[in-house]
Amino acid sequence: MRRTMLYLPGNNPNMLVRGHLFGSDGIIMDLEDAVAMSEKDAARTMVSKFLRRGDFGSTEVTVRINGVDTEYWKKDLEAVVPHKRLDGIRLPKADSPQIIKDVDEELSRLEDKYGIEQGHIKLFCILETAYGIWHAYDVATASKRVAAILPGGEDLVADLKTSRTPEGTELEWSRRMIVIAARAAGVDAIDLMFPRVTDDEGLRKDAQFSKDLGFDGKSVIHPNQIPIIHQIFTPTEKEIEKAQRIIAAAEDAKARGLGTVSVDGRMVDIPVVKRAHYILIKAGLEKEAE
Amino acid sequence: MKTASAGTLESMDCLVTVTEAAPGSGVVIELEGSSVSRFRSAMEKTVRSTLSDLGANDVTVNVNDHGSLDVVLEARVETAVKRLRGEK
Repeated sequence: MRRTMLYLPGNNPNMLVRGHLFGSDGIIMDLEDAVAMSEKDAARTMVSKFLRRGDFGSTEVTVRINGVDTEYWKKDLEAVVPHKRLDGIRLPKADSPQIIKDVDEELSRLEDKYGIEQGHIKLFCILETAYGIWHAYDVATASKRVAAILPGGEDLVADLKTSRTPEGTELEWSRRMIVIAARAAGVDAIDLMFPRVTDDEGLRKDAQFSKDLGFDGKSVIHPNQIPIIHQIFTPTEKEIEKAQRIIAAAEDAKARGLGTVSVDGRMVDIPVVKRAHYILIKAGLEKEAE
Repeated sequence: MKTASAGTLESMDCLVTVTEAAPGSGVVIELEGSSVSRFRSAMEKTVRSTLSDLGANDVTVNVNDHGSLDVVLEARVETAVKRLRGEK
């Protein structure tokens, strides 16, 4: 479940100590934009030490490394991969299948070097250019490691030669494209973070829009955003109860050799049953098939 | 004498300054900060073992602590030593 993934600046011990306690489904220790150029070495060492300590509960632990267009990305991977508590790498500017293949190759080399199961480390690919969005499906299928694709924020806005609007019009199509490509590729779609940390109402609307588009969750930049997003992405009691009735009715129909059945006056066919299972997975009541 | 620093004076962090010393002069550790009176020996142990792992035998280390955990102190000492050596 990836309803929320919280960014933690990689050179900020205060946030790194407490980050996993705020209840997000995942954390992202950031070595990229949240770290000044002069502190890249310090953040890399700090994050490596925290990973070695491994005290993160059941939270999914990822690290955003610097992009492959920088001198840092291999050093970043070398520092974090040896620690088995690392679940995945969030890769910025992951805008072409070749970039994914290059990073996949380096991860395989390091997994081999440090005795880690091949393919253990997943990739979360941020698409930050129009080219990347256009090739989202190819990126998502470039390696078995890809667990999710994500739309970029500011870089993507700049590349689209537009600017931020309160309604988010400038990124709407890119976000839709990410969901379609992710579903086609069978990976998760995680939406961008909402930048206005004190605007709860704006966040609520944005998260609802993300959910309606089909995203699995959102990136988060402030702990206060977590409960609001969880509330929206977690099915309600009523939705769960209905999903359970749909599944029970479908199983009953199957046992009696009937093709279809109706629940609350609505025909229950395969897509409806599929959606009901998806609701139970989201509620944590069913496990997702591998 | 060459000097390098790492860290900040923010809460749960520490500012570590490492100064190169003459060969054979050994390790000198100076600790300051509100938690030093309670955790002096644990902090000294962390600094010494980090220096030993890095093979830094002749240095003076000053730690201005603001409630850092051992993992943070270790990271800051390591970064400062690597900066002193010009490794980035």
